[in-house]
Amino acid sequence: MAVQSDESTNLVGARVKRTEDGRLLTGRGQFVDDLVLPRMLEAAVLRSPHAHARIVGVDASAALAMEGVFGVLTGADIADEVEPQPVIYHVLPDQRATDTRAIATDRVRWVGQIVAAVVARDRYVAEDALAAIVVDYEPLPVVANLDAALAADAPRLYDDWPDNVVGNIEWSNGDADAAIAGADAVVARRMSVGRLLGCPLEPRGCVASWDPFTDDLDIWMSTQSPNLARDLLGETLRLPGHRIRVRVPDVGGGFGNKFDFYPEEIIASLLSKRCGRPVKLLEDRAESFVATGQSREVVIEATMAAKADGTIVALKAEVRTVCGGALGTVGVGPGWLSATMMTGVYKIPNVDVRLSPVLTNRAPMGSFRGWGQPEANFVNERLIELLAEELGIERNEMRRRNFPAPEEFPYETGVVFTYDSGQYGQCLDLCQDSVRESGWPQRLEAARAEGRSVGIGYGFHVEATAFGPSRILNLVGLNHSGFDEAVVRIDSTGRVTAFTGQVAMGQGIETALAQLTAQTMGVALQDVVVVSGDTATCPYTGYGTGASRGAAMGGASLMRATELLREKVKRIAAYQLEAAPEDLEIHNGRISVRGTPSIGVTLAEIGNAAYRRLSDFPADEDATLEERYVFDPENLAWSYGCTAALVEVDRRTGVTQVLDYVIAHDCGTVINPMIVDGQIHGGATQGIGEALYEELVYDDQGGLTTTSFADYTLPSACEVPRFTLHHMDTPAPHIPGGMKGMGEAGTIGGPAAIANAVDQALADIGVEVRAIPITPPRLLDMIETATREGGRS
Amino acid sequence: MSKIDVQVTINGEVYREACEPRRTLADFIRKDCGLTGTHLGCEHGVCGACTVRLDGQTVRSCLMLAVQAEGASITTIEGLSDGVELSPLQQAFHDNHGLQCGFCTPGMLLTAQELLEQNPDPTEDEVRDRLAGNLCRCTGYEFIVDSVLDAAGRQAAVAGDA
Ligand code: FES
Ligand code: FES
Repeated sequence: MAVQSDESTNLVGARVKRTEDGRLLTGRGQFVDDLVLPRMLEAAVLRSPHAHARIVGVDASAALAMEGVFGVLTGADIADEVEPQPVIYHVLPDQRATDTRAIATDRVRWVGQIVAAVVARDRYVAEDALAAIVVDYEPLPVVANLDAALAADAPRLYDDWPDNVVGNIEWSNGDADAAIAGADAVVARRMSVGRLLGCPLEPRGCVASWDPFTDDLDIWMSTQSPNLARDLLGETLRLPGHRIRVRVPDVGGGFGNKFDFYPEEIIASLLSKRCGRPVKLLEDRAESFVATGQSREVVIEATMAAKADGTIVALKAEVRTVCGGALGTVGVGPGWLSATMMTGVYKIPNVDVRLSPVLTNRAPMGSFRGWGQPEANFVNERLIELLAEELGIERNEMRRRNFPAPEEFPYETGVVFTYDSGQYGQCLDLCQDSVRESGWPQRLEAARAEGRSVGIGYGFHVEATAFGPSRILNLVGLNHSGFDEAVVRIDSTGRVTAFTGQVAMGQGIETALAQLTAQTMGVALQDVVVVSGDTATCPYTGYGTGASRGAAMGGASLMRATELLREKVKRIAAYQLEAAPEDLEIHNGRISVRGTPSIGVTLAEIGNAAYRRLSDFPADEDATLEERYVFDPENLAWSYGCTAALVEVDRRTGVTQVLDYVIAHDCGTVINPMIVDGQIHGGATQGIGEALYEELVYDDQGGLTTTSFADYTLPSACEVPRFTLHHMDTPAPHIPGGMKGMGEAGTIGGPAAIANAVDQALADIGVEVRAIPITPPRLLDMIETATREGGRS
Repeated sequence: MSKIDVQVTINGEVYREACEPRRTLADFIRKDCGLTGTHLGCEHGVCGACTVRLDGQTVRSCLMLAVQAEGASITTIEGLSDGVELSPLQQAFHDNHGLQCGFCTPGMLLTAQELLEQNPDPTEDEVRDRLAGNLCRCTGYEFIVDSVLDAAGRQAAVAGDA
């Protein structure tokens, strides 16, 4: 691989090629399924075929007797040995607990819930043994969907709950009802977002090795949150933290799905404890559809009202997230974010938002890129366009009239959040200019003249990033922190190792953090390595690598730690050069007197002095070169962007094709524009999937009908257009380095833009999208209904 | 279950391993031969992560049994470079940011390699069409497409020089 660059300046902001590519391009990456430990066994789990049933008995004797089987675990085996699966968000004042253990003990509440596990010589034998386990179920009435869950006589998922509602919370500001009553235009809609799966291409998995003599648990996990996982393993297995080491191999995509903490990690650990050998437990793809946290599904009833001049006066929303049969790691957190972000980017003086998540007999909800924000954005950005149409105001003019102006920041939304900074109008201009320059209006006209149904849609979004201020998160109900710790070390050869608590999962932080560290220290990029993904050797990051934290939080703390170490290096060099530290500068690994470059010393010489030749080292400094810094932000950093989509609808088939796509975006200081572009492309593609193709479909008995990539259709290279991106880079005011996160942007802004475009394409017959994904059958239905009803005349 | 000997040549090296008749080619390559660069994203033939070349043709190694490959000559991701330098196609992926997590990458590279052998100067639509059988959840495809087009351009330049 070619050496990248020996320049230590201008690294931040450069399209530096990634240091992680080499191993991944040559098959030398090491993903969790590539790990093989001596004497390792492989496990598999048995999952419930029933959505709701009592477990009368489990007979595993035949499985245990099979050749090559080393052990079986059932709910009864673990009931006294583990705590219930953890839920880290308690955001509802009256939030009820679901308290399910890693293996169901007496009752199953979703298809796919684990009822037993087998450990065997290899996975083939383990799966054979699963077939020999006999579970006696007594089926219970199924709560198949939201309406069924809320029905007056609905069966209850938990006998000690009064109904199936997890809890309630409400935020109000001003008087929404009065403002709506006095408004010139009001739109009220019931909108819904389908159930999704994040679907990293590498399924989840772990290899656990429990030493029965010392009770040390060594576990490799394909996870985004090793520190959180260590704490949750400890709580659940009743182990102290120092006995647990979590290591993270190469991760084949995470997208939030691998942020959460899963039963399999507990099961692999217990199986390893029982047989005294390392145990690998992977989900296969078919399992992943019921085993990995699902997301999004929500019904939002919302009302938005405005004055004749377009000023929005009120928003009311009732948010009902369709949870599964138990709360996952993040509980109803994503629903909470949907509700609190319902006001979007607009100044709305009167707000009334309620959240009431509801349990159904579906698989539990978890984290997925966007995490509640796409749902809110879809509704909010649809409503504003409908309201604009009602008032006869051009839709982007309507947006502009309601944006907070740049000087109004920090801007309090009235519901929990304060946006740190933003130039929304400029971002919208950038997007609209690009649409014009790309000739979309002409393309639209030309297509229409040919009788084709083409539309342009916009969606403006904000994105909560750099998550987050620990104490505030605790107050809101997160039972975890949000700070980031970094450690940076220079070794005896003068080379730099940056230790981060963030995790690499394809988003390029090995490269991005190396760029930031190299530039801050004044060394070449190839003189920095970034080490991550090991709780024994890497620092602690609160939360994990999710919530668009990697670059902003990981970068900020690493930059500060590097600055501290740079000062120490300068003090040592000043001692050696008999100069003042303030007169020194570091460039390409050499410290020299500013203006007199001939007088200097290299970092290699400083490193040697700090570790091996202390005779050249100041007496009042500690030997070694290492500093650490903990960064806990005072607020979130709010990225924002505007998406425009050009789509074509085939009225005969209901198929919508995205023809072109523009995103204008501001995520603060950009460390590596190439990586940011890639992140936006990937997120936008997931947004397109979310808008048009992807949906987990349950039947009326709680059975999942989409359990392969043939049914759960991810966008391929043929469904996705080229993306035109425009960057603004207004530094985040309170993040060292000025970075804001941007990992989730594409998933948030896309669905509304696409839905708005579909509306425009079918405006003549009055189709109005109220549910995503806009799959062909769903759209055909709407087209037929609209045509029958005579459209808008 | 009794085992059967399977002999294949992978990236020029001969492997002879005993395996159960039900063993997939993917598991044989990954577990019996230790070549873990071939990835499993679905094990039902849709994602393309497990793509290898069997006697020159791309196949999904999750959909074949190892015993069906008896005697075959197989190329996997590990065989694309000479061990020191990236191949031009790999280099193009590096230069164009054609990968993020790298999980789909082995299948992408082998599919693209076959395409460029059959059609050295593909259009963007032809590239997208061929790659449609390989899912990537990270990149949004644009930079993968750019990588393949760039590799085609480099091949043409080399051919033009010769
Ligand atoms: S793993 Fe073979 S096609 Fe997906
Ligand atoms: S790079 Fe992650 S799936 Fe393609």
